[in-house]
Amino acid sequence: MNYYEHTIIVRQDISPIQMNQIIDKYTKLIEKNDGKLIQTQKWGLLNLSYIIKKNRKGNYIHFKIEGSGELIRELEKNEKIDKNLLKYLSVKVQKHDLESNYFERKDKQIEKEKTK
Amino acid sequence: MKRKSSDRKNKQATFNKLSLFHGNRYKFKRRCPLSVKGAPIVDYKNINLLKKYMSENGKMLPSRITNVSQKKQRQLSLSIKRARNLALL
Repeated sequence: MNYYEHTIIVRQDISPIQMNQIIDKYTKLIEKNDGKLIQTQKWGLLNLSYIIKKNRKGNYIHFKIEGSGELIRELEKNEKIDKNLLKYLSVKVQKHDLESNYFERKDKQIEKEKTK
Repeated sequence: MKRKSSDRKNKQATFNKLSLFHGNRYKFKRRCPLSVKGAPIVDYKNINLLKKYMSENGKMLPSRITNVSQKKQRQLSLSIKRARNLALL
């Protein structure tokens, strides 16, 4: 079994309900293929540095997975067809660091500004 | 003109020396900023770190300017390319 980090970019003009559906869809896919989902991170709406399929912004979802290479192949096959996704990236890692989330800080800052 | 160039050379030499008593051989050599203890981990998600080692136009900086070691420079280039693929940089 290997460890993988998997990131997908979802289109910006999608409702939160649909977002949850997409996350559910892929978590089920992972479990179906004997994978183990260790963590999911929502990075939220971020500015893309270049336009992808006429989109300027995208919702980022980050999965930390334990599974085989077959699972990743299956995931990418499904993601290629999915029209709601802009891009995906899967990276093999030796070890998951579950503590650091580089994109969470921005959300907290925004919340603080709102409360002020 | 000749004088000026020689002056400049002297200035640089004194700047690089530890003190007046040391010869020109003992120059300051900066360490790799990413190999020191407690240095941040090079990762494609850590955009703020990666931005430090890139020019304003989004190009990677050479290691002779940033003094990054060969091993870390390889990690940097890989993680910058991953971040570019995800449109983070």
